[in-house]
Amino acid sequence: MNDGPLIVQSDKTLLLEIDHPRAADCRRVIAPFAELERAPEHVHTYRVTPLGLWNARAAGHDAEQVVDALVSYSRYPVPHALLVDIADTMARYGRLQLQKHPVHGLVLSTTDRPVLEEVLRSKKIAPLVGARLDPDTVVVHPSERGQIKQVLLKLGWPAEDHAGYVDGEAHPIHLEEDGWQLRPYQKQAVEGFWHGGSGVVVLPCGAGKTLVGAAAMAEAKSTTLILVTNTVSARQWKHELVKRTSLTEDEIGEYSGTRKEIRPVTIATYQVMTTRRKGVYPHLELFDARNWGLVVYDEVHLLPAPVFKFTADLQARRRLGLTATLVREDGREGDVFSLIGPKRFDAPWKEIEAQGYIAPADCVEVRVTLSDSERLAYATAEPEERYRFCSTTATKRRVVESLVRKHEKDQTLIIGQYIDQLDELGEALDAPVIKGETTNAQREKLFDAFRNKEISVLVVSKVANFSIDLPEATVAIQVSGTFGSRQEEAQRLGRVLRPKADGHMAHFYSVVARDTVDQDFAAHRQRFLAEQGYAYRIVDADDI
Amino acid sequence: MTTQQSGPSRARAAAPRTLAEELRARSDEALSGLLRARPDLLNPVPGDLTQLSARLSSRASALRALERLDRFTLQVAEALAAAPDGSSDTVVRNLLAGPARVKPHQGAEPVDRAAVTAALPGALETLRARALLWGPDSALRLVLAVREALAPSAANPGRTGLGPTVAEATTGMSPARLQELLAGAGLPATPDPVTAVAALAGLFTDRKRCAALLEQAPAPALALLDRLVWGPPTGTLPDAARPVTAEQAHTPLEWLLARGLLLPSGPGSVVLPRELALYLRGGRSHRAVEPEPPVVEPAAERDPAVVDATAAGQAYTAVRTVEELLEGWGLQPPPTLRAGGLGVRDLKRAALALDCSEPVAAFWLELAYGAGLLAPDGEADEHWAPTPAYDGWLQDPVAERWEVLARGWLAATRVAGLTGSPDAKGRPRAALGPELDRTLAPSVRRAVLGLLADLPPGGTAGADRLMPPLRWQRPLRGGATGPDGRDLREHLTDWTLQEAELLGITGRGAICTAARAMLAGGDPAAVLDKLLPQPLDHVILQPDLTAIAPGPLLTPLSQALSLCADIESKGGATVYRFTAESVRRALDAGRTASDLHAFLAQHSRTPVPQPLDYLIDDVARRHGVLRAGAASSYLRCDDPQLLNEVLADRRAAELRLRLLAPTVLAAQAPPDTLLTVLRAMGYAPAAESAEGDVLITRPDSRRTPPRSAPVPVPDGPPRPDDALLGAAVKAIRAGDRAATAVRRETVAGPAANMPQSGPARTDLRQLPRTAAADTLAALQTAVLLGERMWIGYINAEGIASQRVVDPVKVEGGFVTAYDHHADEVRTFALHRITGVAEVDDPA
Repeated sequence: MNDGPLIVQSDKTLLLEIDHPRAADCRRVIAPFAELERAPEHVHTYRVTPLGLWNARAAGHDAEQVVDALVSYSRYPVPHALLVDIADTMARYGRLQLQKHPVHGLVLSTTDRPVLEEVLRSKKIAPLVGARLDPDTVVVHPSERGQIKQVLLKLGWPAEDHAGYVDGEAHPIHLEEDGWQLRPYQKQAVEGFWHGGSGVVVLPCGAGKTLVGAAAMAEAKSTTLILVTNTVSARQWKHELVKRTSLTEDEIGEYSGTRKEIRPVTIATYQVMTTRRKGVYPHLELFDARNWGLVVYDEVHLLPAPVFKFTADLQARRRLGLTATLVREDGREGDVFSLIGPKRFDAPWKEIEAQGYIAPADCVEVRVTLSDSERLAYATAEPEERYRFCSTTATKRRVVESLVRKHEKDQTLIIGQYIDQLDELGEALDAPVIKGETTNAQREKLFDAFRNKEISVLVVSKVANFSIDLPEATVAIQVSGTFGSRQEEAQRLGRVLRPKADGHMAHFYSVVARDTVDQDFAAHRQRFLAEQGYAYRIVDADDI
Repeated sequence: MTTQQSGPSRARAAAPRTLAEELRARSDEALSGLLRARPDLLNPVPGDLTQLSARLSSRASALRALERLDRFTLQVAEALAAAPDGSSDTVVRNLLAGPARVKPHQGAEPVDRAAVTAALPGALETLRARALLWGPDSALRLVLAVREALAPSAANPGRTGLGPTVAEATTGMSPARLQELLAGAGLPATPDPVTAVAALAGLFTDRKRCAALLEQAPAPALALLDRLVWGPPTGTLPDAARPVTAEQAHTPLEWLLARGLLLPSGPGSVVLPRELALYLRGGRSHRAVEPEPPVVEPAAERDPAVVDATAAGQAYTAVRTVEELLEGWGLQPPPTLRAGGLGVRDLKRAALALDCSEPVAAFWLELAYGAGLLAPDGEADEHWAPTPAYDGWLQDPVAERWEVLARGWLAATRVAGLTGSPDAKGRPRAALGPELDRTLAPSVRRAVLGLLADLPPGGTAGADRLMPPLRWQRPLRGGATGPDGRDLREHLTDWTLQEAELLGITGRGAICTAARAMLAGGDPAAVLDKLLPQPLDHVILQPDLTAIAPGPLLTPLSQALSLCADIESKGGATVYRFTAESVRRALDAGRTASDLHAFLAQHSRTPVPQPLDYLIDDVARRHGVLRAGAASSYLRCDDPQLLNEVLADRRAAELRLRLLAPTVLAAQAPPDTLLTVLRAMGYAPAAESAEGDVLITRPDSRRTPPRSAPVPVPDGPPRPDDALLGAAVKAIRAGDRAATAVRRETVAGPAANMPQSGPARTDLRQLPRTAAADTLAALQTAVLLGERMWIGYINAEGIASQRVVDPVKVEGGFVTAYDHHADEVRTFALHRITGVAEVDDPA
């Protein structure tokens, strides 16, 4: 029995005791192949998945290194079957390779003939391939490059893509680092991406993903298509790019519901890309509008299905995915892997927080008790109405008021799901409300006012969940949410994690109605926070 | 008419004349050695040495003993059987290794003469010790049953591939034809068939004359002989018996037939006589002789420390897996099939619960069954459930628990690997079913582990390397050959290796120190204990409401934790998760919130996270607020508002609630429905007894009545201990001293009362009575000497009669004899013969 920090579980999770002196070394060697699943205070849980192992293979690690890492850091003997399984799984990657062929364009070749035979027998592969050139090589139509990678991954034989990339239309871009610099981890992320060709960079909210995108563009020096979640986010990207790079306003186009500009650097929203008329997606041709040299996907975990479909046809272009988490609520992680690329860089929140790049946060759950009449009403409510009822209870308003009073010197965001509740709160607190129907101009105006501290309290609906930059928000109070969405929780927490000028702590409050489904959903979300390593407290509304 | 008188013609002055006589001369130790090696002889204890020798000469017992010989000893016995009775050890050596200065046949494999010479005395000693062989080295005699079983014949050439002798092959041949053969072979005519046969056999055994004869043979004839040399010694030929003289011979085959080089062995076949085959072989009885067992070379060498660590880890897993399985089955016992065993669906479920494949799950089941921890409960509606022994087992330290499992596995005749394979009717065999016993299993397990233990520490060897020595050790014990062409032993070897790895007897394929100790008769638990992770008394509590046990926990702690938290992940460590349900479960089981707080604070190495305290308080606060009664089906609560809430809830409509008082509701539904519905509505009601106390509900774990582990199906009688052996030898000796006189009276007594004629329904008292062993011995002697016997017989209807018979054959519990009363050959069951007596032969 050696005294390692790692315990290998039979379900292929790895438990890392982080107080152990060798924990940091261990984390470094297991990070390439194991996904960090939970990072609570004492013991972190990693999971070894086929995708993770293939990510590691794509990054140049071999099975021996993985086995060696497990064996040398494991406290107990590692089950032999598990080691064999890891070696087998990793050996599956790269048996098939996509390569350029001087005559036939794109070919699928193998180092292991039976594997090629097996996949060619699959009904899904047959329509994607052409003539068999020799026993080990088969022609693939260039347009099916993405599709075949997707199918091969599903068959369990992920293909290594050596077919390379087109350079695209050149366009000079460089970073203007005056008064600021890329952070070390951002540099590493860009290097990892550029070296791998395509792939995904995983960074927590507020860690400066936009800059990673900008740096990647400066590296590519070519025309770029950027896909973002919504218009506000698009504006923000534009703002940031103008500020941080040599690009000017005129070089950057916005392709959204209101504007359809196509410029050397074009920022498009997912929403417009997926607008459907008469069964077709009229805007998808944007992908072909220019000879793009780089495609950047912001918030990859939200990438909608039609975009996946089109991305499959873009395999010859460099692709950069940016996200805070690879967890997709729809489980399409495999498509991200095969179509955008393997994970190229990953840094956990806590590590970046420790380096001072994101603010530490104090997470508090405030429990309010329903009044007797509310309880009765809750008990008799229709099931589908229950959550709405308990999460918008009037009792919450008083708590929010006292919380705002407590933090009256701080910039405070109040985030909620239900517009009625938000309007009510806005009225009670005399604060502006931003919701779906608020015009973009109005939104920008309010955000500016908030940034300039002209207003200290802003009430926002879920439109603010993604990608708006509110640098000086130090307090977030969430009163209701999309049920138990963990991903929403991460985004909302991200709102207050931008490093503060005075370095003081961010506060994240969830106001929750006791003994109701609200509390159950909150528990779900908080589990996510705890797993991310944020200690959270529970307090009674009466104690505030 | 006693055994002593049998075969007097072959007796020699200096040597004992019979087996019984030789046994009499053996020391008591030698006799106990014999009884130890062949324990079937002890059941029942033979009355005297005559009985003993009769019993050990029976075919069944002799075959049993042959099966337990190694390849070389068996080859020695086979060579002896191919040689004339009373051959010397030199003859045997020459048969095995080939006579010196004689060139062996080119098909023979090279043999190490020195090794054969060195190993031969040991092999002879083994045969002698097991009483398969008797007589001095100068005149070795096989027990008749052994000779019959091993002697080569045209129909059954055995492993030597030899044919019958010239004498045997020419039985029934006309004297004229014999003289023709002599003439064909260029020998002078002889007066009678016996000398003719001797002359022909003498020609084949005389190397010079035989060589001269074969030199004249046409080349195709020699090629024909060559095809038959190593067996099978027979060839088919239409009208083989047709007499051909040397002059008439045209074809090579006829050339051989005319000279007696091939002899007809049946209407359509010819056989190569043994003497000639031996000449052609260069005197060798076996193509390949293996005086030494094949040596196992390790396939790989592992670090012994890694081996021990891996095996210990697996040993721990094995113990835990069995515990997990039986805990589950204690609460939800699966039904037994009507034919015995476990249904396929329940096996699947077990595999799912244990997170392993079905064959592996079947192995864990058999392991628990074999260790006596699991049994059918024997009720009308039968279920599999843990035995009371399981509760005791749980209390033992892990290493001792492992030892119980490992020893059970080692001795078990049940073979988990057979689960799912088709039985005689083509249906898959059920796990834990009645058809999984194989007597071969324990000996193969021991042999495999023994071979592994002989390797240097850390050495591994796969089945491919282990099979040759296994086959050498017991060539006749391969078991049935399956449709895949592999015999049972090969399957058992594979399964043994897999199961040993699962059980932690081997680690990374090499045998571990603890298992070595167990095989050597030591204390494996003491060795294993040092290697096992030490059970911990603490856990790590985390703010995400998990508790992590970074290693095995002390049993009380793990039981308590399992009660108040759900297990999320297992392996070296255990991850527990606290949920509202799990905490409620603990409260339902009678724990209080303060108990839980104290328990967690005591066992946590880290401060108890505040959310966990909140969770417990939250659940406790709501727990028992609502109280539902079983007797009167009521619902009461100190908080009228809450009752109103329940009453107003539409989902409670099916309970038909009625407000009895501000704090009491009555329900028109059984209490369990009431509880379920309330819980589904999100409440945490507590059940109440008639006295108003909170009912503590805890699922009762099912147990069978006391059950013992399944007794391994005996591969024979139990191994006798020294006390029994000593007593048996003493009894035999005493019986033997008294034997002669008593027997004469017994056998002669009833003979005097023999009725003069006619088969008769007889009074039972008038039947001759002798002990079963004496009956057997007397009948065997009668067969040998061709004597007439008087027997008492009780037929299948229970009617007793007396018969005068001429026994022809005693075999397999039946006597074939000519019955003088019925005037035909009949078969008598040996056990129905009440006794025998001599008849004064009128002839």
